[in-house]
Amino acid sequence: MLPSDSHEVSQLNELKIDLEAISVIAHYHGNSDIIMDEQMPIYGGYAGGLEETAIIDVASSINAFVMSGASWHLDGPVHIRWGSTNTRETLAVAGWASAAITNHTEFMQGNQYYPCAGPCTEMCFLELAAQAITDSASGREILSGVAAAKGVVTDKTTGMEARMMGEVARSAAGVDIAEINKILDKLVASYEKDYGNAPAGKTFQECYDIKTITPTDEHVKVYEGARKKLEGFGLVFK
Amino acid sequence: MAYKRSIDAFEFYNRAKTGEKCTQDDWDLMHIPMKAMELKQKYGLDFKGEFVPTDSDMIEKLFKAGFDMLLEAGIFVTDTNRIVRYTEDEIWDAIRNPMPEFQLGTGRDAVTMRRRTIGDKRGPLIQGGPTGSPVSEDIFYELHMSYALEKEVDTIVNGVMMTVRGYPPVPKTPFEILAAKTETRLIKQAAAVAGRPGMAV
Repeated sequence: MLPSDSHEVSQLNELKIDLEAISVIAHYHGNSDIIMDEQMPIYGGYAGGLEETAIIDVASSINAFVMSGASWHLDGPVHIRWGSTNTRETLAVAGWASAAITNHTEFMQGNQYYPCAGPCTEMCFLELAAQAITDSASGREILSGVAAAKGVVTDKTTGMEARMMGEVARSAAGVDIAEINKILDKLVASYEKDYGNAPAGKTFQECYDIKTITPTDEHVKVYEGARKKLEGFGLVFK
Repeated sequence: MAYKRSIDAFEFYNRAKTGEKCTQDDWDLMHIPMKAMELKQKYGLDFKGEFVPTDSDMIEKLFKAGFDMLLEAGIFVTDTNRIVRYTEDEIWDAIRNPMPEFQLGTGRDAVTMRRRTIGDKRGPLIQGGPTGSPVSEDIFYELHMSYALEKEVDTIVNGVMMTVRGYPPVPKTPFEILAAKTETRLIKQAAAVAGRPGMAV
C-alpha cells in the first residue's frame, strides 16, 4: 500500500479500544499514511435508543481525530436486530451525527453500507439509495460500500451497487433538506416491512459475466426498475 | 488548563497504563448507557422523526452532548481495564487542527477529499467495494475489478478473502499476513487492468 491509500484502524463498541490498535496507529503515523478510523455504533446496543446512539456516534467521531489523529472517520451506525445500516433508526443516527460533526468541526467523514437484501434485487438498490441520500444531504465526504446481504454472505457484492450509490448521492446533493426528508420517509416505508424476509439476491458469478466483468441483462433491468421507483419517490437523477 | 502536548498514540498508551480501573461489564452495562441517557436529558435531545436535521439549535445540542460524552466518559482500554480520559483543551486541540483536504491515490487516478456542508451541491466521493464482505479466492480479482470499471467509483474498499492458496486466513497465523498482502496486490492489479493504476484502496 502507498501512503495515499486509506489505512484502517477500528475502534470497539462503544468508546473502547485495544492496545494493538494504538500500536497500529503509531505505525501509520510513522509512515505518514492516510488514516481511516472506523467505528460502527450499535442502535439498540449498549447505548440504547436513537438519541443516545447518536451521542455515542458523535463522541466516537471526535475520538477518531483525538486518539487516532485520523485523516477521516468511517462511520456506520447499525441496527442490533437487523444488522443493517439502512433502517429508519440507523439512517437518523447517521444523518444527525454527520450534521453535528459537519456544522461544528472540519473533520472528514464517511459511512459504510450494509443493506439486508442481496445483489440484483430492487430492495437492495432501494435500501442503499436511502443511505446515499442521507449521507450526501447531511454533508459526508465519502460513501463506502456496498456490503449487500448484510456483508455476511460469500460473493454477494457487485460493482452495480456502488454505481447506484454514486448516482443517488450526486442526485441528492444540493436538494432542500425538507424535501430530502419527505423522499426518505416514502422510500424507507417502501422496504422497512421486509427486513425479516429480505430477498437473498444473487452472487457475483450469477449476475455478472466474469470473463468480461459485465453485469447480466437481468441485473441492468433490476437497476433500471429501482431507478424508476426512486424517481417516483421524488428523486431527480442528475 | 493548557495541555502539555497534543494527544498521540504514545501519550494514549501511557494513560492506558495508569488510568482509572474499571471492569468491561461496568463500562458496557453501566457507564455507557447511563452517561448517554444523562446527556440526552441534559440537552433535551429529540430528533422528531427527521432523517437529516433542519434544526441547527438541536444539531448544536447533539454536538455538545457528544463532546461531553467523550470528555466525561473517556475511552475504555480492553487490555488494561483502564479508562483513558482527555481534557477539554486536548479535545479542542484535535478539533482545531484537523488534516486539511488530502489526496487519495496517485497520478490521474487521484481524487481529493474536500470538506462538504449540509445540503452541499457537490456530491461526495465514492469508495466502492465489498466493505469487508467475504469473497471467494477464485473470483477475488474479477469481483473487485467490477468496481474499478465503474466511473462512479473513486477509490476501492476491499472484501475479505475466504482462503489464500486454499487455506483459511486464520488470525495471528502466516496465512493471515499472506491474505492481507494478496488482497491488496490483487485489488491494485484489478484497478490497473481496468485502466486506473493509481486508484487508492
